[in-house]
Amino acid sequence: MVLMTEEKELYLGYASDKAMTPFMQKFLEALDGEKLMMSKCTSCGTEFLPPRQHCQKCLSECELQELTETEAKLHSYVIVDFAPESLSSKAPYVVAIGEFPSGKRLTAHITNLMGMPEVGMSLKLGYEHIDAKKLTYKWLV
Amino acid sequence: MARRVAVVAGGHSKFGKRYDATMRELCAEAYKPIYDEGISQDKIDATVLSYAASQFTGQGAGSALIADYIGLQDKPHLRVESACTTGTASLRAAWGMVAAGLYDVMLVLGVEQMNRVSSATATEYMSQAGDMRWEYPFGISFPAFYALMASRYMHEYNMTHDTLAKIAVKSHHYGAQNPKAHLPKEVSFEEANNAIPICRPLNLYDCSLITDGAAAVVIAAEDRVKEFTDRPMWIKGIGAGASEMKIQDRTSLTSIPGAKRASKAAYEMAGLGPEDMQMAQVHDCFTIAELIAYEDCGFVEPGKGPEFVDNKENYITGRMPVNCDGGLKSKGHPLGATGVSMTYEVMKQMRGEAENASRQIKDVKHGFVHNVGQSGQFVNCFIFERGWS
Ligand SMILES: CC(C)(COP(=O)(O)OP(=O)(O)OC[C@H]1O[C@@H](n2cnc3c(N)ncnc32)[C@H](O)[C@@H]1OP(=O)(O)O)[C@@H](O)C(=O)NCCC(=O)NCCS
Ligand SMILES: [Zn+2]
Repeated sequence: MVLMTEEKELYLGYASDKAMTPFMQKFLEALDGEKLMMSKCTSCGTEFLPPRQHCQKCLSECELQELTETEAKLHSYVIVDFAPESLSSKAPYVVAIGEFPSGKRLTAHITNLMGMPEVGMSLKLGYEHIDAKKLTYKWLV
Repeated sequence: MARRVAVVAGGHSKFGKRYDATMRELCAEAYKPIYDEGISQDKIDATVLSYAASQFTGQGAGSALIADYIGLQDKPHLRVESACTTGTASLRAAWGMVAAGLYDVMLVLGVEQMNRVSSATATEYMSQAGDMRWEYPFGISFPAFYALMASRYMHEYNMTHDTLAKIAVKSHHYGAQNPKAHLPKEVSFEEANNAIPICRPLNLYDCSLITDGAAAVVIAAEDRVKEFTDRPMWIKGIGAGASEMKIQDRTSLTSIPGAKRASKAAYEMAGLGPEDMQMAQVHDCFTIAELIAYEDCGFVEPGKGPEFVDNKENYITGRMPVNCDGGLKSKGHPLGATGVSMTYEVMKQMRGEAENASRQIKDVKHGFVHNVGQSGQFVNCFIFERGWS
């Protein structure tokens, strides 16, 4: 799409998918303000994290809503020692699936671990501006 | 009612880092033994060509190039793609065309040329098969997807890395006896347990290889089989399954839901169960994947995989010999060739022609194939039956 002049050019994560949509732009603008958005189907009410523009069940439009949960438990993890080329300089890094009390899950890096990760450990949602255009949500211990 | 379909011939290139060949030469190498057995181009009605990723080579429309190179330029061909299940997906597609009566005799040709790019680049391309929007930005490579399963399996069932290392030792033990294998060498338990980390908890010896290679089989309709062989291997059961795209969305990480569905469907179609199989080829892209496969294919109950490994039930002398050709771990994993190579191996074992008699499994009447794509988004299972006594 053609970016409107007032829109900031924003991308998610360390190695970003550059294919932008108005829906993703809104998600990223909220993330820029340190808000993580999920989405909720305007027809059947199903919630999705990460958000989808279309409901997986009924294909209706979803709307973005702020996720209110911030604390999660580590569901599983990996320490990536040998990384894809685009993240070679960042390795080793820890990728974790965190599970919120509602059961919603989110996949992101844990950035402040001192020891080894452990399944079941507590995680807190955090945010990071990687550079002028790239930003991300992340896990903190 | 669909016609019965049998595998009547097969060929296999040497797997490895094949800087002496590209896709076309590898395919010629796989088709040549079939040609030598008398199945020349004029006997083949159509081809399904299987390779997973054109990024590795830059060649578009590869089925045209390869069909032309091996002298099938005037016969219909098409390419099938579904990640690492591309090989069995091609076999499934060809089976459908033959069973339905569209063609009588088809060539299924699987190939991948992965080593003309660096391992980091290959890892990059493969990571792009994760969700580009929500997974790729976090650098989740293929070993990483399976490491997420391994961490969870270790947590839920108290498994240690020892179990995974034992699987690697077994794979290399048989790979060392397979002249077609990419890395045909024995490894010790200590080596396999203490190798350099790749995606912890997985290390180098938990990972399959980045391999160049090709494999081919010919299938024929029941009324044509006799023209080609008196040792047909019937396709008795086919099951396919799928799982959630994002790995975080799976209810369980200690099983691949699509694999359970696929194996169940294959057993049902064949009217057989795991106890009727004398061997299995499972998708060991990582040691943890092989462990989970034992459970998803019903060889053991969930959580009992480690015991199965400790008791060496997966060896030729055990209850269910698994990957006695070295598997993806030691034989190698050229993505699009893998499912075809698994089928080829079952055929060779059934015929008593395992390359190296030392790894021949006795009296194989039924063989099982389990082929997984990505981290379980695609799964195909096949049950093959010996068509002679
Ligand atoms: C693990 C991996 C990154 C290692 O690649 P690499 O570091 O580039 O390795 P190299 O090719 O440089 O080889 C270095 C050495 O390790 C060995 N080696 C490479 N991969 C190996 C493997 N998987 N297992 C055992 N040994 C391996 C090589 O034989 C070589 O040994 P040598 O020094 O004695 O000759 C690579 O094998 C890999 O990515 N495997 C997984 C492939 C995959 O994800 N496939 C899709 C599955 S769905
Ligand atoms: Zn809905």
